Amino acid sequence: MTLSSLTKPWAATSYGFLDASAKRELRRKMLKAIAVPGCQMPYASREVPMARGWGTGGLQVTLTLVNPTSTVKVIDQGADDGVNAASIRRFISRVSGASETWDTLAASIVQSRHRVPEEVMREDQILVLQVPNPEPLRGVEPNISIARQMHADADYGKLWLTLYEQIVRKGRIMQGAAYPSMVNGRHVMTPSPIPRWDVPKLNMAKHLTFLSAGREKRLFAVPPFTRVEPLVFSDRPYRVEDHADLTCRRSGVSGYFMNELPIDGGGSAFEVSDSNLGIKAIQQSEGAAIEVGKTWYRNGEFSA
Amino acid sequence: MAYVATRGGEKAIEQAERLFRQDLGTIDAARVETIKQTMPYLIDRVMGEASLYSEELAALALAQTGGELSEAVLVLRAWRTTQPRIAIARPVQQDEILTQRRISAAFKDIPGGQILGPTLDYSHRVLATNVLEGKPYAPPAVEAATKPAPSRQPSLADWQRQQGLVAPANASDVAPEDIPDLTREPLLFPASRAHRLQSLARAETGGVLALGYSAMRGYGNAHPTVNELRLGEAEVVVRHPRGTEFSAGRVRVSQAEVTSKEKGGFLELGFAATFGWNEVKVIAAATLDLNSAEAPVGSPVHEEFYLYHTESVEASGFCIHFKLPHYVTFQSILDAMRDAKAKKAAAEQKPAETRQTEPAE
Amino acid sequence: MLTVAPPDALELRSNATFEALMWALSRPGDSREMPESGLAAIAETLVDLECTVFADDPALRSEIAATGALVAEDISQVDHVFLSSLEGTEVQLATLRCGSALYPDDGATLVANVRHGVGHRVRLSGPGVDGTLELTLGISPGFWAMRAMLCAYPEGFDMLLVDGRSVIGIPRSTLVEVL
Repeated sequence: MTLSSLTKPWAATSYGFLDASAKRELRRKMLKAIAVPGCQMPYASREVPMARGWGTGGLQVTLTLVNPTSTVKVIDQGADDGVNAASIRRFISRVSGASETWDTLAASIVQSRHRVPEEVMREDQILVLQVPNPEPLRGVEPNISIARQMHADADYGKLWLTLYEQIVRKGRIMQGAAYPSMVNGRHVMTPSPIPRWDVPKLNMAKHLTFLSAGREKRLFAVPPFTRVEPLVFSDRPYRVEDHADLTCRRSGVSGYFMNELPIDGGGSAFEVSDSNLGIKAIQQSEGAAIEVGKTWYRNGEFSA
Repeated sequence: MAYVATRGGEKAIEQAERLFRQDLGTIDAARVETIKQTMPYLIDRVMGEASLYSEELAALALAQTGGELSEAVLVLRAWRTTQPRIAIARPVQQDEILTQRRISAAFKDIPGGQILGPTLDYSHRVLATNVLEGKPYAPPAVEAATKPAPSRQPSLADWQRQQGLVAPANASDVAPEDIPDLTREPLLFPASRAHRLQSLARAETGGVLALGYSAMRGYGNAHPTVNELRLGEAEVVVRHPRGTEFSAGRVRVSQAEVTSKEKGGFLELGFAATFGWNEVKVIAAATLDLNSAEAPVGSPVHEEFYLYHTESVEASGFCIHFKLPHYVTFQSILDAMRDAKAKKAAAEQKPAETRQTEPAE
Repeated sequence: MLTVAPPDALELRSNATFEALMWALSRPGDSREMPESGLAAIAETLVDLECTVFADDPALRSEIAATGALVAEDISQVDHVFLSSLEGTEVQLATLRCGSALYPDDGATLVANVRHGVGHRVRLSGPGVDGTLELTLGISPGFWAMRAMLCAYPEGFDMLLVDGRSVIGIPRSTLVEVL
């Protein structure tokens, strides 16, 4: 063996940015994450050329998956043109040669912050959710060693108690986004800060979901056809945001998750949060031959 | 096509980056060289936090980020990600370090002597404003000692061990390739000592100082005495695949040992070391190490608390991520809040009908 | 500022192999195609100096050693096991690492040559299976009994069953009934 056999010819950057050993570590952990759905798997989480907290966990998963034939969609808050979504998408295509798309139907990988697209994802598609805080127990137990033991013991009593207290004090569960959910009947996970509207889309889905927190160095997965059940009491059903009756002021679509825009003189206007769904609806209404996929919600009702 | 008109994002970020870079102007090798030559302590700090020893790359990172320290550290760490690990260096022993400065506050004099070396400790911190009036400041020349100090100095802790003051060193017989490497595996708790010291070595200087200082002020239970503080240069000795050991070069290192009180008949030692010369960081870090053993969970001197919160890239990244839009999560909170208010208003109008009477499961 | 070379052959092969393994474990019982037949490409995709590996095939063992991985004889020490056949391995595999409830990821990955479509019929259910799925695999009922003993979910080991270029995944989360 020589020194040169240990290393490779100099290259400014590896293909897909991550070096081979980083990718192998991620591959090993991604397989374990699939094998134990919803269970947080620790990984080394290399630094990437983006600040921690800006999607570095999702990015590492995407960079491990991507190849020159991939088509990548990146959204932030549902929008493809958000500044950070644009920045991440451009980086992925620069280091991998993958194609970029805004269309959920055309993507092989969808990397997202805070939303699941409204169009139903297929069994050949991968959703990569960026996760700021992977620990659903953080609010009741900030120490991660203790929280980890609670997961090991399936000890979720403190979490149930918090939800119960909210009902007693406020008349309802006040959890907004990142609604804690039981995966495969064993591990409680955070679905990342997606709205409650999006959590049912992960339950018994056809697609594969990875959730990755780069800063906190944890990744977990929801394989296809896996139960994802929001924690609710039997007499208090799970409630998604009250958006079923709202209409997008630009595209005219209704029955989807909306962005609320305050308007001068009081009141609010609404725009559909899945921005490319809105674009496609506009293009379709203008006569373009555009395919809008089947959506998880129809007329504001979830029906997978 | 009104929606597509919002597609300003990609152009905006491109131009925003250009604005930042335009302010810094053209970066050439001369600028990098100047930074490297004139800011050695800044370079040291950045190399330590980046856990990447290259004065040249650190100077380049500083030039490229205009001295935005957390950005400079991030760009170096990201570059580090792309580099393969080709060898594992031999562990460095204290008495092998080419020592420029080595002091102890625990004794008036120590075997080998107190070597002050380069320091501003006893200087008067006066701004040299004359420089701005066209009178360059040329420091007076150093007068060589009649008897130069030996370039290598013994370890004070070794002397203390011989005297029975410090517990015998628990030399663990771990092969170099089996030493846990924080940059290739996640930090888990309780952390191995290797992980704890590695994490402190690359921690953010200000963060380590803040938490170390909190321990010194009384949020820890051990006040440090500097047993030994050492600045020097260490050989990086690696093994050629054919078996020969050779030095690949020298790196500047700092290390601190602090002690406070006896435990089990011996003085306890806290330890820290880092790339580059950064005394504040190693004293504060050694203080945290010293305090960890009996720290209550959740206190600033508990290892999970201080290791997580002094991680420079993670802390700064998460802090600035709050600039990203959060309107989806906000919308979700608003929805729950409005519904709760509506429920409350309804309950106040018709209390008997809507009040829950049976406890929920 | 950033120039990136196109992927080399190793990168392309590892990427495609991983994709097959990932979908195989995501959809237990479904067969996926790898770019190359055999176990070596899987080793190259997953294993390096961070790993401790057992392999019964001497040629594969030396290829694995060249990645820097520690090649061990003691099954209870390893994170990856590569077997040229599963026949009669129940006793040998009884000490296979299954992780802990605290760290289920410490459970081993078992990669083995197993004939698809011949042998014993099994019914799978659990995550990744839409209802139930029946298939035939060259694995004895005794092996499945051993697996059921070891895998106390979330503890357990995960299997990649290779037949030529095809791979079928059985993660620990899958309930296997021998028919």
